[in-house]
Formats: sequence, structure tokens, C-alpha cells
Amino acid sequence: MGIGATHIDHIVISSNDSGTVAQTFADNLGIEIKRKMIRPGTSAQLAFAKLQEVVLEFAGPPQVTPGEEVKAKLWGMVLAVEDIDAAVAHLRELGYPVSDPRPAVQPGARIASVKDGTSGVPFAVIQYNAIPAEAS
Amino acid sequence: MKATRIDHVGIVVKDIDAALATYAGNFGFTADSKRGGELPALGIKNAFMPVGESDLEFIQPTSSEGPVAQFAAERGEGTFMLSLEVEDIDAAVEHLRAAGARVGNASNGVAFVSMKSTHGVNLQLVQRQ
Repeated sequence: MGIGATHIDHIVISSNDSGTVAQTFADNLGIEIKRKMIRPGTSAQLAFAKLQEVVLEFAGPPQVTPGEEVKAKLWGMVLAVEDIDAAVAHLRELGYPVSDPRPAVQPGARIASVKDGTSGVPFAVIQYNAIPAEAS
Repeated sequence: MKATRIDHVGIVVKDIDAALATYAGNFGFTADSKRGGELPALGIKNAFMPVGESDLEFIQPTSSEGPVAQFAAERGEGTFMLSLEVEDIDAAVEHLRAAGARVGNASNGVAFVSMKSTHGVNLQLVQRQ
């Protein structure tokens, strides 16, 4: 019994300037930035690229400080699961601190964060098609 | 030059057996018994767990020297490295150098990009075929 993960859904690279970091990856590695957005609520600047089934998410603060050295780090990952409620229940049964599933940025998806016990890897689980279209 | 796939995510851990037990027993992943082991030349031991088309690589330092030991000393456990698959490792290295990036020589289909050229992200390129 596990969490029913099917694949790594996305990997997050956090920085103080997500636009510059995303552009460096695009220019040097031929990665196409497919989407940019501002996260509702936090106003974080996000940019997304997709390499086959895995999304690279570049995340940064709303404002960039001019002249500041751009620093990035590999942050954490989100695992796609078949049933997020079952995954959360399973993890809580094992004693993991897990947030309640909430609507994700991705339309129709729900996401929950696992806050500890993952060998230092910030990670979350996400289920697509978890919210009916008319409700998302 | 184009990165085509996330090959694996490297995760530095203090105790690889404990990490594997957690990720197998609690999360439901299965270690690939055909890969991984002790790599004295690198001062590490490692193990792989496939997740979809990518892998999680768990890396435990066995020496006090090297980038893995340094990461462990400074940050403890955590996400250490991103490995991207490329079609032609030599062409990728040449392309990156032409673009001004600092890249190590390719060896056995693997090359490391200097963190100074990635804004601090530890990046590996790998050619699988």
C-alpha cells in the first residue's frame, strides 16, 4: 500500500527571479517555456516548461530586486496520484502531517502538501480531474 | 540542443536504507535492484526508485569530501540535483560552452553543468542511448 503515485508531475525550481532562471534554462537547454502566470493569492511569478510527462516549474517572488544576484535552487516535487483523498488518508494514518487537499493552480486538480518525513524533500501530491469542470 | 526528459532527481539522505524503507513502505515505490550501490571513487552510495518515466536517486555520502558530503554538511537531507536527458551529450556540451556556460567534460554519457551557469541549480546532463 502506498500513495498510488503514477509519476513525478512537476519539479519546482525556486529563485529570486523566476523569469531570468526560466530564460536561462530555455536558452541553454532548449526547454520551451509554455506558460507564465502569477499565482493567485501570493502573486508569485511562475513559469512552466514540460519535458514529456514532467513539468518544470520556475517559481519566484512577485517583485525582482534590481541588481541582486539571481540565485536559484532545486526545491521540491509534486507527485501525481490516482486518488488524493486515499493518499492523504494513507499518509495521515502513518502519522505524516499533510494539508487538506485544496484546488490547485491547474484547472480541475487538487493538491495536498506533505510537510515532513520525506527525507528533506518538500513534496506534495496532486490529482488531476479531481474537480468537476463546472465547479473548477 | 534540447533536453528531452527528466532523467532523475537526486536526493541526498543521511541513511539510504532508512530513506528507501520510507519511500517503499510508506509511499509505495520500488527500488531498482539492478542499479545503484557503493561508489567509493565518488564517496557515495546510491539507489534508484522509478516513478513513471523518471527516477528518484537516493544518495548517501560515504566520505567527508565531495559535493554530496558538502551538501549534506550544509543543508542536511534534501533535493540535490536535477538530471536531464539529452540526445547527444557531446553536442550538448559543445552547445553549452559556445553559449558561455561552464560544463565538465562528458564521461560515460554524463556531464555536469557548473552551478555558476545555472544560477545555483545542480544540473547533470545524461545521454541514455
